[in-house]
This record gives sequence, structure tokens and C-alpha cells, in this order.
Amino acid sequence: MPALPQIYPYKAGTIEPVVMPGENVGIWVNKVYEFYRILFIEGLPRSNPLTIDLGPVGVPAGVTAITQLTLLEMPDIEFGQFRAQVLDDAEVILYQGRADQRHKLQTRVATYSRFNDRYDPDGQVGEFYVFEDNYAFMQATNNTDYALTQARVAFWGFRYVCEKLQQYNWATKTIPENWTRIPATAHL
Amino acid sequence: MPHYVDIRPRGIRKVSEVIAAPVAGAAAVLYQITAGGQVPRTAIIRKIWAYSDVGNVVLTIGIGLAAAQVPIMPLLYVVNDMDTEWTEDEIPEVEVNQDITVEGTIVGCQVQIEVEEVGS
Repeated sequence: MPALPQIYPYKAGTIEPVVMPGENVGIWVNKVYEFYRILFIEGLPRSNPLTIDLGPVGVPAGVTAITQLTLLEMPDIEFGQFRAQVLDDAEVILYQGRADQRHKLQTRVATYSRFNDRYDPDGQVGEFYVFEDNYAFMQATNNTDYALTQARVAFWGFRYVCEKLQQYNWATKTIPENWTRIPATAHL
Repeated sequence: MPHYVDIRPRGIRKVSEVIAAPVAGAAAVLYQITAGGQVPRTAIIRKIWAYSDVGNVVLTIGIGLAAAQVPIMPLLYVVNDMDTEWTEDEIPEVEVNQDITVEGTIVGCQVQIEVEEVGS
């Protein structure tokens, strides 16, 4: 019997597409799931245009501004699947919704740092999604005792072109039989 | 006890030209850092080679040109008529975001470095 495709986010190992063309997704945005079908997938290689410098960070415990990741904005009816690598010795927080921190617990917020390379070399646990212009934001903190002249983060992933499935609606619980959940914004 | 060094790559390896280190006070560019497009790269020195046939030379590797050079590691002593190599185990992981420069106490010592450029 053929194995079922592994269609889910946060897949272990080197990044893979989270769904296949023809599959359905529910994108969590504006506190509801919106349903789409995937039409097209394209790779987004880790490269200079997909790298951001959050800016210099002073001491003690300096922080940068909460910076909009305009470079990751997706076209209409598309979403991006991204993993991140921090290149400098800064701790970086992800926001989706400018005031909505991701990777959070009750009293703590998990961050991206250079240590992620050691324990999560493929960036699996830090995977995130951007739907259209629902921007992601990042803020860097300097916990060292010297000023940082830059706080760089590199991204890579996949682009998904979609079509909206008008017949499905989260509010009325009319949902597809099979669909993959895409956490494109925070769940508060 | 065995000595382990965890050299986990952070970037790509590149080499400088072989240059004759200028005299002290006239530090010149040894390695020109890649501009890096949208976001600039940084560089970490990984290997240093030097050869002198002009006498014993003390090299200063740093950033900044001429009299404005600032060392980024302790001075290096090159014995006359001997080639000297410093490898990764022996070089501190100093990371800079500008050109790397060199000068020597006597002009003419040949110097080349290998760097690891971090970025995209």
C-alpha cells in the first residue's frame, strides 16, 4: 500500500514543501482559517535579497526597533513558508501582527539565535508562514557586553500560489474533508 | 587528552592576494571584503601565511588604513628566511565588517590570508 504524503508544517530535516499542488490548506489569518487550494509551488533559495540587517544594537541589553519584514511580503493569493538563520550574536523575536509574538509560552517567548544552528540545524522549529501582506516583524536584542554593528537574519523557503475555495467557511464550520493548517499569524 | 575544535562552517572560504606588507604606519588592504548586495558580509580570518627574506618582521593585522590601523589580534612575529603559517586552531575567531589591512616593521614581508565570509 503506498505511503500517504507527509503534508504538515514543521517537518524535520531539510525544508520541504508543506503541501503538494492540488491539496487544500487552511491559512490562519485574522483569527480564522481561510481555505485555499494550491496551484503552484516555487523554491525561494537562501540568498542576499532574502537577508535582512535589523541594524546595530548597543549595550547594555540594547534592542532594535520592531522591524517589518517587507522583503518577505507575498503577492495576492500567495503565501510563503520560511525558515530563518541568525548570522550575528543577537537574539531575535518574531512577531506576526506587530504586537503579536510568535513561539510563545505562558511567561516566556522563544527566540532565534546563532545557537539554533547547533540544535536545530535545519531551522525546523522556527518555521513560519507569511500570507500576502500580513507582514512578519522581527526585533533583535543584544545580550553581549559589546555593541553589535549589525544583526542579520537570512531566510529561505517556498512560495505557494493559491486559489480561494469560496465554498468553505470557518465561521459556519463548512470545512474541507482534508486540509493542512498553515499558521500564518499568531494564535492569541 | 585529545584536543577537539568544533569548526562548524558559518560561511564560505575565500583568499586574499599575496601582498608585500608595507612599512609600519602605512597599513594597506590585505583582504577586501565582499560588498554583499542588500546586506553586507562579515569576514573571519581562518589562516595566515607569511614569508620574509627582508629580515625578522613583526606584522600587524587589523582594520583601517595607514596610521589609522587598529589591530584585531596580537602582533605576529615572522622569522627571516622562514615561512610561517597560523591555522584555525591558533587564530582567534575575530569577525570584522570591513577590509582587513596589514603592515610590518620592515617593508616586503609576503602575506596571504584565508577568510570565511559570513552572510549571503
